[in-house]
Amino acid sequence: MIEVDGLTVIYGRGGAAVPAVAGLAMEVDTYELVAVVGPSGCGKTTLLFALDGLLSPTAGRIRIHGEEVRGVRRDVALILQDAGLLPWKTVRANAELALRIQGRKETATKVLADLGLAGFEKRFPSELSEGMKRRVGIARALALQPRVMLMDEPTANLDSITREHIQNLILGLWWEMGFTGVLVTHDIEEAVFLGKRVLVLSARPARVVEVLDNPGMGEPGYRGTPEFAAQVAHLRQILGGNGP
Amino acid sequence: MRDSLKMVLRYLVAMALITAVWAGVSWLLEVVRGRQILPTPWDTAIAAGETLPVLAAAFGTSALRFLIALSLAFLLGLPLGLAVGFEPKLDRYLSPLIYLLYPTPPVALLLFLYLAFGLGEVVRLVVVVMALFFQVVVAAQGAAKYIVPSHITAVRSAGATQWQIYRHVVLPATLPSVLTAARVSVGLGITMLYIAETKLGVLLGPGAGLGRFIEYYTFRGDISLAGVVGLALLGLLFYVVLELLERVLCRWKFVGARGGT
Repeated sequence: MIEVDGLTVIYGRGGAAVPAVAGLAMEVDTYELVAVVGPSGCGKTTLLFALDGLLSPTAGRIRIHGEEVRGVRRDVALILQDAGLLPWKTVRANAELALRIQGRKETATKVLADLGLAGFEKRFPSELSEGMKRRVGIARALALQPRVMLMDEPTANLDSITREHIQNLILGLWWEMGFTGVLVTHDIEEAVFLGKRVLVLSARPARVVEVLDNPGMGEPGYRGTPEFAAQVAHLRQILGGNGP
Repeated sequence: MRDSLKMVLRYLVAMALITAVWAGVSWLLEVVRGRQILPTPWDTAIAAGETLPVLAAAFGTSALRFLIALSLAFLLGLPLGLAVGFEPKLDRYLSPLIYLLYPTPPVALLLFLYLAFGLGEVVRLVVVVMALFFQVVVAAQGAAKYIVPSHITAVRSAGATQWQIYRHVVLPATLPSVLTAARVSVGLGITMLYIAETKLGVLLGPGAGLGRFIEYYTFRGDISLAGVVGLALLGLLFYVVLELLERVLCRWKFVGARGGT
């Protein structure tokens, strides 16, 4: 369970201070997958980095499983935008990077195979397609067998077929592994497809302005239903835009 | 494999070309000045054959000296350069210092170096290390400044210590530029080696380094020139070794979309 209370993050000091997040409150139940949407540059990534313990809040509290977050936690994994692969490491070394840093001996062999990357272990990222790179990024997080999964726009800049493929993959993994997830996205369809609830953030500094319950989420077929279309239209209306 | 064969072939062609130009210049000078000024490649080859044991000893000594100097420059310069480039605080305080010292040629300090270290092996190494050290520092610093932030986030989010950030990101990210800079500095390093072995090697025999060899045989132009060829080959040797090192250590640079497979 993730509890965020009065989270405020301010970059810089004095006259140059930029508030990125201001008094944000949210809760994510254990095994719940929550999508967070909001205008570009509204502080979504800042929120995610704070949840991951990468930056300390200026004010407010973040608790994961009842413990206050004071740094990077081993049961929390972060999937970075554009995967964040290290170009000098092979697919296997990238997938096992977080394990090795934590001094763990496990391998990522099974995870890589599950994600359809068997046979590519010795390749370098520059030899992979964009979709494969994202899967390696996901493999790196999964290899840790985390209880909490934080995802920063995992399908940004992908073509629509690959995007749906990765979205289905994330949904399947959520069913299979049962993690608590926070997915940050600016894609309205993605938020409705992957969020049991969708939190809508304000423009910078970010606050939660609306919460959309989305009980129908959970099946790959959800995309084709009228309910999905209605939720997407509703969310679009909340965000006040005419297009995604 | 075929690529390396082609590379060797290209070097052979280049050597043949240089030899031909050399022979041409030698002939031209002889015609213009009425006597031999620049020994021909042929004369030089014969001279090299005559003094082969001494020349080989000089080459070996110089190669070892340069290898030690280059390794020391890396050992000292790489950690400093990476830290200064990567830690903004160190950058603010140490960069002015580095930029002030960087353009100061160690040659200009020869007298003081000699007084401080005497005429032993140490002073010759110091001169070469000083020149290469700043090349490595400046290259490492420049490369470490522009590390992709998401690469740092990737390891920090796994809980990396500062040491692990250097090991997994900073060092491998900068290694290609540092090795390239080192390759470019080989020319400067060889020049410094020559100066160290001549100006600071007057007490030595001709086998104690190519610089000393060249100076020792000043009045035998053909033998002296053989030493110069040796110096050129020494530079080439290190250039090639550094290139091979880059291909082995930075294999990722040579695969995929950016390199030819």
